[in-house]
Amino acid sequence: MSMATFRPILIAGGLVVALMIAGELVSPGFASPEQILRLSIVAALLGIVAAGQNLVILGGREGIDLSVGGVISLSALVAGNVMNGLDAGLLPAILACVAVGAIFGLLNGLGVTLLRIPPLVMTLGMLGVLQGLLVVARNGIPSGRAAPMLSDFVSQPQWLGLPGILWLWALIGLAMAGLLGRTVFGQRIFAIGANEPAARLAGVPTRLTRTMLYVLSGVFSAIAGLCILGYSGSSFANVGGQYMLSSIIAVVLGGTPLSGGRGGYTGTMIGALLLVVLQGLLTTLSIEESGRQIIFGSALIVLLLFYGRSSGMRV
Amino acid sequence: MPQLTMTDMYKAYGATVALKSGQIALHPGELHVIMGANGSGKSTLCKILAGSVKPDGGRIELNGKEITISGPKAARDLGVSIFYQELSLSKNRSVAENILARDLPCRAGFVDRKAVLARAEKVFAPFRDVAGDDFDLKTRVGDLRPDQRQLVEIAKTFAGGARIFIFDEPTSALDRAQTEAFFRELDRRKAEGASIVFISHRMEEVFEIGDRVTVIRDGETVSSAPLAETTRDRIVAEMVGGETGASVFADPPAAPVPGPEKLRVQGLTSRRLRDVSFTLHAGEVLGLGGLHGQGQSDLLRALFGLEPLDGTLTLDGAPITLPSPRRAIRQGFGYISGDRQSDGAISGRSIFENVVPIHLFKTRAFFVNHATLSAEVDRVLAILATRHGGRMAPISSLSGGNQQKVIISRWLMDETGVLLLDDPTKGIDLATKLELFALIRSLADKGMAILLYSSEDAELLANSDRILVFNNGAVVQELQGNDRTRTQLTRAAFEAA
Repeated sequence: MSMATFRPILIAGGLVVALMIAGELVSPGFASPEQILRLSIVAALLGIVAAGQNLVILGGREGIDLSVGGVISLSALVAGNVMNGLDAGLLPAILACVAVGAIFGLLNGLGVTLLRIPPLVMTLGMLGVLQGLLVVARNGIPSGRAAPMLSDFVSQPQWLGLPGILWLWALIGLAMAGLLGRTVFGQRIFAIGANEPAARLAGVPTRLTRTMLYVLSGVFSAIAGLCILGYSGSSFANVGGQYMLSSIIAVVLGGTPLSGGRGGYTGTMIGALLLVVLQGLLTTLSIEESGRQIIFGSALIVLLLFYGRSSGMRV
Repeated sequence: MPQLTMTDMYKAYGATVALKSGQIALHPGELHVIMGANGSGKSTLCKILAGSVKPDGGRIELNGKEITISGPKAARDLGVSIFYQELSLSKNRSVAENILARDLPCRAGFVDRKAVLARAEKVFAPFRDVAGDDFDLKTRVGDLRPDQRQLVEIAKTFAGGARIFIFDEPTSALDRAQTEAFFRELDRRKAEGASIVFISHRMEEVFEIGDRVTVIRDGETVSSAPLAETTRDRIVAEMVGGETGASVFADPPAAPVPGPEKLRVQGLTSRRLRDVSFTLHAGEVLGLGGLHGQGQSDLLRALFGLEPLDGTLTLDGAPITLPSPRRAIRQGFGYISGDRQSDGAISGRSIFENVVPIHLFKTRAFFVNHATLSAEVDRVLAILATRHGGRMAPISSLSGGNQQKVIISRWLMDETGVLLLDDPTKGIDLATKLELFALIRSLADKGMAILLYSSEDAELLANSDRILVFNNGAVVQELQGNDRTRTQLTRAAFEAA
């Protein structure tokens, strides 16, 4: 890992620790094991969404997935109705979720590669479609419940005192590191992100690779939707809405620039943690919502400014 | 008395010293050529003069008075105008607006369109006849051909009343007639007392128009002499330094015994090509000559599956189609472009990642096995004597020549049957060029079939076994044996199909 990708990880990691200490000083108990566990679960939910967002952004050419929130909400709705509170329905629900994520991801991918629609427009349009579908499907009434097994998986200590979702997140972290660092597909993601025409001349199937990124993003969002359903117990309207912006911010905080071509998922995981800890701290300080948003936004801008400075000039 | 002198100019970027001791004295009415390998500091010296780079040391005198140049605007106010190698035009504005971009005529705060057209017309007049029939001052620059864009860039440099002009590789995209029109304009400006700084990698051009040449090597000015008192070989020796100066402009190679037929092309027609037919043998370097942009690059790109084509292609006796680069690579074709930044380097990624993609594709690998591949990568990098700071260093940390070596290495990991070279040495220093051509010859000797397009006639003549001369998308003549001379090539190039 080069210094350029490592530096944001150090900064973000250092800030997580600093914020935890600050939180503990201001409000004793902020850094208690239970609180850390709770924040980690929230970070895991965001981190899973950000994994897909990360891939799409790494692929460059203005790659971005604004439809993650819609996929999350639809996935949670579908899963809740398929399992309807029964453990027996868990496996079909998982399969249904993955299918939902893959289908909408594929549509995004094909729109971007074959129809050459800018990702911003394509995925924003898809978000609109998904929100419309949600309204129709729900008919205004909340429906669907999480299976007990799923709720336990997300919030109850299971192996070594940690809930299953943290193990899942760790597994995704390892899988992403392996994918990006050790596979040809991973190398092709960086190649199309860094210079697509050159990648094409070097034998990279650029359209297939890019389409796959959107499919994976859809699948990650769908998995996150399932877990969020487990976290909240039932699917409520627009449960995924907040994840659009925060997943992008987690990626950028983790050292993957929006221009793509460099970065990685390890940083994104730290970025997700940082984001969640910062939100947690602002909530603990019981600052009003408006003030919280102002501080949050300013902190992000300052942090990103810091990154921009650190990238250095090429001579 | 010199109009402008620069003494002991020094510039460092962090630990890298770009310019150690740059000296130059510009006299009015003189065309002063700066020669040097890539990274020697010649561009840095020019950028200091143009105000886009701030020097860390040195003294600049204009008409005997010491000055400091605080920025590009200050440089323009002092009468310095620069032509940038990387084009500085806005694609979405018209030709006329681009030419006058630095000083648009306005009336009451709004751009005066009539005045813009009238003034641009005047500035562009010297190039009007060579710009092509489809050229218009109202055209969007993005819709122009590369040579037309370069003419616009030149006209932009001349617009406004500068006294010192800096041209960094101004003729790379121009054909002969365009170059001559440009040279005539240079002569006119010289006669008016302007000083011209000229950077070129084309020796013939330098001797054609230069009055004085300054050679820079490793950031230091090593010589400055009137061109009449020096020779090509001496300049090369000065640029290269300690190494013995073998002539770059060697005689054409002796015709080798041709190997078996590798590729047969019959009646190839595409957007830019008209009925092109030829055969290429294993072990042969077939040159593509003629004026710029007559279809040479289009042929190479079509053969790499980048452009749809009609016609019959036969490889090793069997018919083939080339619908995509991936299919072409599988058939054993390799393509190297001179446009490293857009078509070669996977920028920002490591040298390793820039070497292995073709191998990974050909072997249908799923995992990247760093341990096994690293030995192979080091092997192919060593074939070209690539100078690099470790295979995990970003490719952008290398000089242009070494970047190109990395890109060529891609095709050496596995067998490549037909190598398509699209002006592969563009913008590369002379010493590296010599190395690359030696490599190309050795690849041919090992049985590779090579198609070579070069924007420099001398390179083409010195390195091709046969030369197909192109004009307007068609092959007008094939030069073989003793016909491979500059006169024959030039004559053929101007011959209409």
